[in-house]
Amino acid sequence: MRMNKRDKLWYGFIAAALALPCIPGVIEGSFFGHVATMVLLYAAMAQSWNIISGYGGQVSFGHSVFFGIGAYGAALAVVTFESLPWYGAPLGMLAAALVSVLISYPCFRLKGHYFAIATFAIVEIFNRLFMIWDAVGGALGLDYPILPDGWKNFSWSDTKTGYYIGALAIFLLVFGIVRWIEKNRMGYYLLAVREGQETAESLGVNSAVVKLGAMALSAALAALCGAFFAQYNYRVDPPMVMSLDMSMKFVLITILGGLGTFWGPFLGALVLIPLQEYTRAYLSHLGAGIDLIIFGLIIIVVMIKEPRGIMGLLGYFGRKAAGAAEEEGEDR
Amino acid sequence: MKLSKRTAVFVMLILCSALFASSAAFAAEEIKIGALFPLTGPAAVSGQNCVNSVLAAADVINQKNPDINAPLAAGEGLLGGKYVIKVVAADHQGKPDVAKSEAERLYNQEKVFAIIGCYNSSATKPASAVAERAKKIFMCGCSSSAALTERGYKYFFRHAPTDAIESVEFVDYIEYLNKEKNAGVKTLGLIYENTEFGKHAAEEARKAAKKIDLKIVADVPFNNGATNLNSEVQKLKSANPDAVFGAALGGDYSLWVRTMKQVNWLPKIAINYCTGYQNPAVQKELAGDGNYFMGGMGYSPELAKLFMPEAIKIQDKYYTPRSSQPFDSDSIQEAVMLMVIAQAIEKAGGPDTEKVLKIIQTEEFTSVMSLSGTVKFGPDGQNVNALSVITQIENQKYNTVFPLKYKDTEPVYPMVPWDKR
Amino acid sequence: MSDFLQVLIDGILSGLLYALVAAGLSMIWGVMDVINFAHGEFLMVAMYICYWMGFMLGLDPIFTWIASGIFLFILGGLTYKWIIKRSLGKAAMAPLLATFGLSMLLKNFCMNRFSPNFRLLSGTLLDGKTFEVGGAIVSVPQLVTGIFALVILAALYWLIKKTRLGWAIQATAMDKEAAELMGIDTEKIYLLVFGIGGACVGVAGGLMTTYLAVHPEVGGLFSLIAFVVVALGGFGSITGALFAALLIGLVESFTGFYVAAVLKYVAVFAIYLIVILVRPKGLFGW
Repeated sequence: MRMNKRDKLWYGFIAAALALPCIPGVIEGSFFGHVATMVLLYAAMAQSWNIISGYGGQVSFGHSVFFGIGAYGAALAVVTFESLPWYGAPLGMLAAALVSVLISYPCFRLKGHYFAIATFAIVEIFNRLFMIWDAVGGALGLDYPILPDGWKNFSWSDTKTGYYIGALAIFLLVFGIVRWIEKNRMGYYLLAVREGQETAESLGVNSAVVKLGAMALSAALAALCGAFFAQYNYRVDPPMVMSLDMSMKFVLITILGGLGTFWGPFLGALVLIPLQEYTRAYLSHLGAGIDLIIFGLIIIVVMIKEPRGIMGLLGYFGRKAAGAAEEEGEDR
Repeated sequence: MKLSKRTAVFVMLILCSALFASSAAFAAEEIKIGALFPLTGPAAVSGQNCVNSVLAAADVINQKNPDINAPLAAGEGLLGGKYVIKVVAADHQGKPDVAKSEAERLYNQEKVFAIIGCYNSSATKPASAVAERAKKIFMCGCSSSAALTERGYKYFFRHAPTDAIESVEFVDYIEYLNKEKNAGVKTLGLIYENTEFGKHAAEEARKAAKKIDLKIVADVPFNNGATNLNSEVQKLKSANPDAVFGAALGGDYSLWVRTMKQVNWLPKIAINYCTGYQNPAVQKELAGDGNYFMGGMGYSPELAKLFMPEAIKIQDKYYTPRSSQPFDSDSIQEAVMLMVIAQAIEKAGGPDTEKVLKIIQTEEFTSVMSLSGTVKFGPDGQNVNALSVITQIENQKYNTVFPLKYKDTEPVYPMVPWDKR
Repeated sequence: MSDFLQVLIDGILSGLLYALVAAGLSMIWGVMDVINFAHGEFLMVAMYICYWMGFMLGLDPIFTWIASGIFLFILGGLTYKWIIKRSLGKAAMAPLLATFGLSMLLKNFCMNRFSPNFRLLSGTLLDGKTFEVGGAIVSVPQLVTGIFALVILAALYWLIKKTRLGWAIQATAMDKEAAELMGIDTEKIYLLVFGIGGACVGVAGGLMTTYLAVHPEVGGLFSLIAFVVVALGGFGSITGALFAALLIGLVESFTGFYVAAVLKYVAVFAIYLIVILVRPKGLFGW
């Protein structure tokens, strides 16, 4: 197999990301390590959302539900059953995929904003039900006990390296799956359904199955990210994982980076997460909410100027530089 | 072009703040203390009060205050001016995950010696877990969840009485009223927000109520930040309990009170856990409608006049200029925690975590901003001298009604009905 | 029995309030197919305007709702000119996300300027006035807000169905290009629709200050409920919004009282899902 430009970029990125923790002091226990881990995690989250919403064209504001189910999977395993997150995470993924299919099957009939608002409603319902469901901790949430460090418990106290590698693994898994989808029949089916459900059906694509499959995959991957999130924060409660705020993060990162593009979610996370973390850390003393004001402004400006996000910008500059050559490669 | 202008402004801002920071640093060595509170989000009012309170305490320590009779006030800084306290404020937005990562940043990047925080019990939990893992000290002023000190943490200390202590006191008071005043309180209603704070409070209230066979006839959790509390209050009204224990934060508290006025119903006695009730700003907005409600408090301007004269001085000199209101029962406890850790550092001869820890665990500290006047921590990190009194509000004045030792006014019992006000 | 009546009255009154809050959103959605995510923050801004006018100038919100209505008309117009117009048609969700950015901006700006304190006007003309009907208590400020809701919805209905401007709005909503060919300045219509939408929420916010506290987070739940009301009522249908709002209000108060208070919003959102799955375009949608 010959490597094209995109493959080179991908393998180059993997090599660079793997090399990062080898430099002492960069990741280990530093704030930068935290930010790098979060970038990878949020990129993976956004990419999982991108599968159904970007490639599949069904813009969902309900992904925090699946994210939350995954988080609860890991936390219940560790806190309630005093077992290992390694069992909880896959069960959480399975549960999330199941729930996503059950929810989406009827909701896929809804069009446009009706679908969007239905997903808002689902988040609110799940959030409030988990708040009163005492078997999963209710409003009190689940707090991790202090466990010995290491891969077994997937928990570290003073180093970020383990978490960084974990997040990188999830990142590579999610992005790898999307790469595979892009090149495979599933990807073409998805795009066909996005571009026109009727046309796709007439070509023999079972659009319902394709969309449900993509949704289940997307939900399971979001749940995996959720499990990591719970492990990372030693705690789960409903407002933390199953909230509209969290759902909006999936959406904003992808849209900022470029909806329906491979590198979009990563670029979005690469810009938004450091911005969020560093402005909160270093600007919040200027007065309450300054970081969020800047945040809001950026979102507005991006949406007005270049709704295709950073990928759109890159494409623009790329075309300018290459004289309209290689348009195909930059776009997708 | 426009963009570069913005960048220029940004760079200027950073330069300015850097200049500011450098000019503030004089000969003395800084000991950084993190103040991690919700500066934005739903609990931001209280969070900002807490930071202002910690900053006020830092001023007491760092500046020459011969007028204030408190430990460390007279001289500049600690150990004869060798160290000064620098407060690094951080915002957790009321979110546990942000609290956790900000706690890590404060310890690892900012190199703070200890953190004071986090107001919301749900944020205090993960943030103090970070501290415990990193073997750093975490001081908690007012998070009231009893679970915090039941985790067996070594590096965690809390000043506030837990909701368990408060519940017992509330019930004791009702027992006293029944016995001495023939109050005839037999039934209890609970109204609380469905959050970590509210649920814990309600749980403790239920336990305490069993003690004197107070029958719980209404148990109403509600969603915080609701658009209305009509059905919640209606439930209370139709169960008509003699007493109500409430746990509602600022806005929900005033909504609750006004909805009760609207449906023209009051219990004979209403006692509140911390927060909404004890925030002077909330009471100011409620004005006359807030009258005759009761609540547990560790501080009130009226109490302070009688028992904590130095706290008033600190308030007038350093706190009110910052937040344009008097101390409230939540925020002042954060200031106490800074004073305690500063005293411990002074005794230990410097910022050495293990030495300071030992001192915090074993010694008793003088605290001019605590009602009991002293602070001492039990093996679980809970302040064993924690004291709260029951106050009743009348014309925005908190009158102390219980325990009898601190009582300054005869309580108005039962509450004056709305149509007679 | 009086419990039942009380719960019924509470449900209707909060339903009318939701209708008033949702009216502007419904109109914008109906004409332009845009969700204004900053709707709740518009409400908050209106409340702040009336709060400050009441606090500093001593003007009662029963009069100042006019001012907040006018201000929000302008704010709505500017939002259209600066944000919606430039993001419309670029990507599916661009206006929604742009207004999401606007909502963050407004919320945190108010947080920064006015502090997160809860602010409540006391001693207003209607403050705490109530009367009794068959053992149930009716709050006058809520009743006044409810009457305003009915008047404003009726006025909107009249405007859209019976005036030339309304016909132009309808034509624009149905087919923009065709309307342009007919000589309708659709730009102006859009601007006006956004302005009127803003004005409605401005009036709602102004009246709400008579009995609700203002704080930077006040808009959140109201805007979610408004979304649900509008979608439940159906694409831009004013009558639909009214009935949907009443339904939501009643579901909220009955679940809150007879089932469990913590479940009242669960029930609200669940009823939306159930209805929308049976009628994917809402109760009155086409």
